[in-house]
Amino acid sequence: MKTEMPLSKPIRRILIHTEELLDTEVSLLRQPEAEPGGTLVDKYTYDIDSNVIIFPAQYVGLLKDFIIAKHCTHLLIKGAAAKKGEYKVCSYNADCVYAGMRQIYIDALKDEAKKENKLPVNKLIQMLFILFSHFNDDINEIPWNAIVNADVYYRMPKIRKTQLYHIMKESKNDMDEMMEQESIVPRRYFVLNKAMFYARDMYLAKTLPADELMPVLNIPQMKKFNHLEVKEMLTTRWTHTAWYQSKVFGDNMLSIIEKPLGPVNWKDEPTLDYYYDLYKVGKLLTDNLIGYMTMRDWFVWEPPKHLLDAHDHKVEYEKDALKRIFGDLITDTLEGV
Amino acid sequence: MPLKEAFELAKKGHSYAKRTKYKEALAYYNKALSVDPNYAECLFLRATAYIETGKHKEALADCDRAIALNQNYSDAWSKKSLALYYLERIEEALAASTRAAALNANDVTAWYIKGVCLDELGRSDEAQEAYGRSLELEIILDMHADAKRIRQQR
Repeated sequence: MKTEMPLSKPIRRILIHTEELLDTEVSLLRQPEAEPGGTLVDKYTYDIDSNVIIFPAQYVGLLKDFIIAKHCTHLLIKGAAAKKGEYKVCSYNADCVYAGMRQIYIDALKDEAKKENKLPVNKLIQMLFILFSHFNDDINEIPWNAIVNADVYYRMPKIRKTQLYHIMKESKNDMDEMMEQESIVPRRYFVLNKAMFYARDMYLAKTLPADELMPVLNIPQMKKFNHLEVKEMLTTRWTHTAWYQSKVFGDNMLSIIEKPLGPVNWKDEPTLDYYYDLYKVGKLLTDNLIGYMTMRDWFVWEPPKHLLDAHDHKVEYEKDALKRIFGDLITDTLEGV
Repeated sequence: MPLKEAFELAKKGHSYAKRTKYKEALAYYNKALSVDPNYAECLFLRATAYIETGKHKEALADCDRAIALNQNYSDAWSKKSLALYYLERIEEALAASTRAAALNANDVTAWYIKGVCLDELGRSDEAQEAYGRSLELEIILDMHADAKRIRQQR
């Protein structure tokens, strides 16, 4: 463990456990501009020798500890899959980008036909890849987020209150995502994006027993949630969003998430096989979500290097897809993309 | 009040420390303290830079000097607890963090180190209490930081 900072006991334990189980090294890095949820830079995803967990410099106590616990758990899942030679992520290639952008374009045209204030063509074209890419990011993140949170909850009871705060904060941020673009983004994608987050929140609300997570902390801003359980807290928030009328999609996704996670015994011995099983469950539920959103031809399961290369070629893929969708019509517009 | 020259030198050092350039920061702090050896705030700043560079004994010595100049210097007590923790002097770290938290009840680090030390000493219930206080403060600070960030974005 390459770190010199005070850590609570359960966190030191999980760091040591991670290093021993994966036979690797984990470094901790404080950065003023780090993402609020921290970042994991790991050797199973990137071409590096060790693993680094980066967290915001202003987090000096348990908020930092939870970030470390969360990323250690994710690292264990990735590492276990990698050790079995199976670690893959949802990547994309030129055909995937074409399929995704074409589908988004068709759906956007349907929406635009009903709108009084039409979106300028160049904006609509720009949106296609952005939205495709957005779903790629989300599908690589949301299922794992649910699994990791559930595992941390069972493994580290002493940091549950911290976990509650992180979940509430993350939920709020994810809820706000895309809100400003609501009038631009085709309705179908706005609904699906929110449904994924809603399903994750509801899964966590059902998984994390309310009585242990009551916000008993003496924090004025959280007082309004007093005597509400986690599920009510998260549901109450979602009912106040414009998306809520389409919650049926979220409920369906919740069933999709719950089904493979139901049989998981979170209290099993945390061996390499246990984490590999979590990886398989995560992969299955990701597949099921992709199927539900009819995005099967948008993504391919490939080793992480494939996704990194895909990001490097994204401009090329986007231009290629635009040519395939619009033919010669797009030539002039491409300059502006 | 520190001498003006020492104050300016410490200020320069602090601007380097904020950019994690501790070598340069330490050079300025040393100059400032050669001008005014009883400049407690500069001793505290130098202790912070020492902690960041892994020189925990030096940090502890500076904290002790700062505290000798001002017994109620809460930040110096808090930094002292951190230095003692790194030096694995857990009982003393607990005493220093307790003193820091008593002087400044809003010191997240002091409460957290107190929790860690109590945990180390097997006093789990008391540790949870200290962690709880540290978490409350940390969340409040985080919420304020978020609100500030949102205001700036607007």
